[in-house]
Amino acid sequence: MTDAKLLRDMFQAIAILIDEATFKLTPDNIQLRAMDPSRVAMIDFLWPKTIFDEYECDQPQKMCVNITEFLKLLRRTAKDEIIELTLNPETARLQISITGHYTRTFNMPTLEPQEEETPTPKITFKATAKTTTEGLRQAIEDAQLVSDHVRIEVDTEKLTLNATGDLMGATITLKKNSDALLDLQTQEPSKATFSLSYLAEIIKAASATSEIATLQFANDMPIQIDFHQPKEGKLTFYLAPRIEVE
Amino acid sequence: MSLELMKAYFMSSAALYMEEKWCVVLGVNLRDLVPKIQVNLQDLAGKSIAIDAYNALYQFLAIIRQSDGTPLKDRAGRVTSHLSGLLYRTSKLVEMGINVTYVFDGPPPVLKKAVLKRRTKTKVEATIKYEKALAEGRIREARTYAQATSRLKNYMELDSKRLLTLMGIPWIQAPSEGEAQAAYITKKGTTNFCASQDYDSLLFGAPNLIRNLTISGRRKLPRKPVYIDVVPEIIELRSVLTKLGITYEQLVDVGILVGTDYNPEGVKGIGPKTALKLVKEHGGLDELLRKSLKDADFPADPHKIKSTFLHPKVTHDYNIEWHDPDIEGVIDFLCREHDFTDERVRKALENMSAGLKEAKSKTTLDSFL
Repeated sequence: MTDAKLLRDMFQAIAILIDEATFKLTPDNIQLRAMDPSRVAMIDFLWPKTIFDEYECDQPQKMCVNITEFLKLLRRTAKDEIIELTLNPETARLQISITGHYTRTFNMPTLEPQEEETPTPKITFKATAKTTTEGLRQAIEDAQLVSDHVRIEVDTEKLTLNATGDLMGATITLKKNSDALLDLQTQEPSKATFSLSYLAEIIKAASATSEIATLQFANDMPIQIDFHQPKEGKLTFYLAPRIEVE
Repeated sequence: MSLELMKAYFMSSAALYMEEKWCVVLGVNLRDLVPKIQVNLQDLAGKSIAIDAYNALYQFLAIIRQSDGTPLKDRAGRVTSHLSGLLYRTSKLVEMGINVTYVFDGPPPVLKKAVLKRRTKTKVEATIKYEKALAEGRIREARTYAQATSRLKNYMELDSKRLLTLMGIPWIQAPSEGEAQAAYITKKGTTNFCASQDYDSLLFGAPNLIRNLTISGRRKLPRKPVYIDVVPEIIELRSVLTKLGITYEQLVDVGILVGTDYNPEGVKGIGPKTALKLVKEHGGLDELLRKSLKDADFPADPHKIKSTFLHPKVTHDYNIEWHDPDIEGVIDFLCREHDFTDERVRKALENMSAGLKEAKSKTTLDSFL
């Protein structure tokens, strides 16, 4: 593909949750769905073959790579360099060629793919909010000043983030049809509490790949965040809620 | 200082000696390949772990000592090192969101008699050396000898169980070997992991083993005033078998040749590499005993040793429930009866409670799939 930066940003977003990623390669697309080791968050990723300048895959197969190692190579790429990935089924090694002013070719081992398929959470969402990823990122950073978790509430008019720390509290309001909150569809007012460290890391990394995000909520249910991708690509995160304990 | 004493470091002469041998088995072939996965305590949050209680208590008794080797004692002269270790380590683990269960040994199998007798002898010898060193003012040496004298007395076990109950931590009484019971409940899925320093857990079929869990982040090297960082590591049975290219039963065979808790010396002249090679070539211990090792010397019938690993005495009659700690109860017990410092104990328990609350407020996506 001609945009090595896009690949790097995407892998950085994946690396937030997992160290080893089992990709499903099909003739039409490349997919990844996995939970982080503590099973609090999930990534659901898909790139259609049209994202790539060229994509060849004869039959469905799985490929597991160490994301951290892969990222080390990707960090050596510049924005308009061409990157070519080739999986050698015989040696089970992945070859990575990066071409700019000069060409370097790395190869790395692939790992034993994970057999089990991860299902997505089954949730009936009650509210959908469309935000700019930048607005979302800022709001989360505000909340992080006072606490390590945040309660997100939506009604028909606004989305509110409430954070309560040992000393300070914060209320951050995003009004419907503002520059930060582009749209809001609420069937039922909903609220749920989430870990800010997860939210912040996910949103920060995924923002590099996307300008618009769609959030879906229901009371005390996981949140679903879709980071809009070009050409039917998909980058969705799920995050389990925290429950209030006395 | 004698080699014997070095072997005796930690809990028993057998354990370390075997640990060294096993490290070689696991190390030579697997140093880079095998699955000694280093983990942070944080990574174990939300997981449940069955801890080999005797193993942990022996560590506490060996390590938690004053500089001249005297264990912690209350005013009545009763040893409290084990209680100190149990309180601070357990509360730390719970604070990190880890659900721990302790598994206590029951009566040892008859097979172990010879070994236990030898351990007692080692401890008696170490005690004599300790007292001599102390009398002659060789403090550093005295401490080293003292660590080898640790004995787990009946009252210590009772105290430990009482403390755990007050802390709201479940414990299981094994019908025989604690490691076997811990392996059993982990295999059944009641707990996610087994924790012990002793590789024998794997021979009991533990699907995994966490080492360095109940000791703190720094460990003193035997006989030297040098500390090394120790981090918990996970060893997975499946990966060990894959890398060695043998079955679980063959691993037990290799173990018996190299030395286990029931025959610490192993078979004379057979090191780990040879053991692995022999077992692979001949298929297993039975074949070897019929042929090339016909005259090998064992302190107990090797077939019985094997069957103790394959079919250990375990119970399915256990119940694991975690409760909030009875803070005042623990303080009463430790501070009033055993002269612990009120403030430190309270702090540890408060941190533990906070950790419990935090753990309860977390959910995982599993409940929504």
